[in-house]
Amino acid sequence: MDLINTTIMGPLIPLGQIASGWDFVIALLIGIAFGFILEASGFSSSRNITGVFYGYNFVVLRVFLTAVVVAMIGLLYFNYMGWIDLNLIYVVPTYINSMVIGSVLMGLGFILGGFCPGTSYTGIAIGKIDAMVFTGGLFLGIFLFSELFPALESFYYGDSLGSATIEDVFGISNEKFSFIFVIIAIIVFYVTWLIEKRVRKTVNPYKFE
Amino acid sequence: MNRNYILLMIVIVVLAGGLLFLPQKANYIQQDPEKLMWDIAQPTRYITTDEVAKMIIEKDPLYQLVDVRADYDYDMFSLPGAYNIPLDSLLTEQSDIILDVEDINTILYSDDDLKADQAWVITRRMGYKNIYVMKGGLNCWIRTIIQPKEPKETAPITEFELYKFRQGASIYFTGTEISLDAGEKKTLNVTRRKKETVAEGGC
Repeated sequence: MDLINTTIMGPLIPLGQIASGWDFVIALLIGIAFGFILEASGFSSSRNITGVFYGYNFVVLRVFLTAVVVAMIGLLYFNYMGWIDLNLIYVVPTYINSMVIGSVLMGLGFILGGFCPGTSYTGIAIGKIDAMVFTGGLFLGIFLFSELFPALESFYYGDSLGSATIEDVFGISNEKFSFIFVIIAIIVFYVTWLIEKRVRKTVNPYKFE
Repeated sequence: MNRNYILLMIVIVVLAGGLLFLPQKANYIQQDPEKLMWDIAQPTRYITTDEVAKMIIEKDPLYQLVDVRADYDYDMFSLPGAYNIPLDSLLTEQSDIILDVEDINTILYSDDDLKADQAWVITRRMGYKNIYVMKGGLNCWIRTIIQPKEPKETAPITEFELYKFRQGASIYFTGTEISLDAGEKKTLNVTRRKKETVAEGGC
């Protein structure tokens, strides 16, 4: 008798649809796809990345906002269709202190280095020397952080909100928040497009073939 | 601005707006009907009244009791420390708070097995784990724990031990003394069979 649950539902690994040994293989495949899309979107160029800070190129902002919007709406529809159980999705715990400090440091690194951790690897892949230097610094930072971690631990885990979601903290439903977020994203798309148009006199818009 | 961008923006706004009109629906992990049928056929979900009594007396922290009868029945009589989730309010948030506790085993009971079994099927369907049913329900509880019957003389010793336990449990739950007629007390003459000696050492 076949007693195995035949209806496929996500998340695939926690629900045992895929054996957990496969997660590294899947991570590798997703990582390759991620790297490819980063490179294809022009993120290997430091000019594109730092352009957000200097206000002449907002492609990073737009690509990431698009990714967030698509994933957000897609997951909510998947949840509605019963293809995924959102309650089983891992939500990264929120530590206010370390997240504020961490994002400031990360932003600073972005502007100074012209890469974020992911794009520095795509930079290496296309043979950029500055990306290699950046990645060296990245590993140095990881090493220093790991060595200093015992001293930083109480601060790092301080002010924990647990696996908080917008719905838990602000009491606004996922659906309503998504709608508001999409509207904000579209306003951002339009405003950044206007800014780019003013800053760069000759805007060359990307054309779909 | 490119016309394609505008088109994509309209699509995403329509999709996001559509989310607002989706009816609220709870997603449960789908139980395969075949698997559920298999589980229903298994007697492993049953826990005897004796085990439940022992667990209450020992205040076992790994178990919690849930009465699935209507609230007026619960108010009249129930087991100590039991929660009340009437069958028709199993799908509410309050019952989720009680049932969805990791590592805690929930024992359901009603007057007999019927309602508790129904509740068990529903909770299984909702994806809860560690749910059990008290075999025989409260009727069996009264018969075995509150008013235990003395076993026949010829019954095996284990039944007498069980009877003793039930008498003790009855006192614990009702607070009444059970009269033990000294005259009727029988002394059992136990004749032990001689143990056969096992060959020790040597070869």
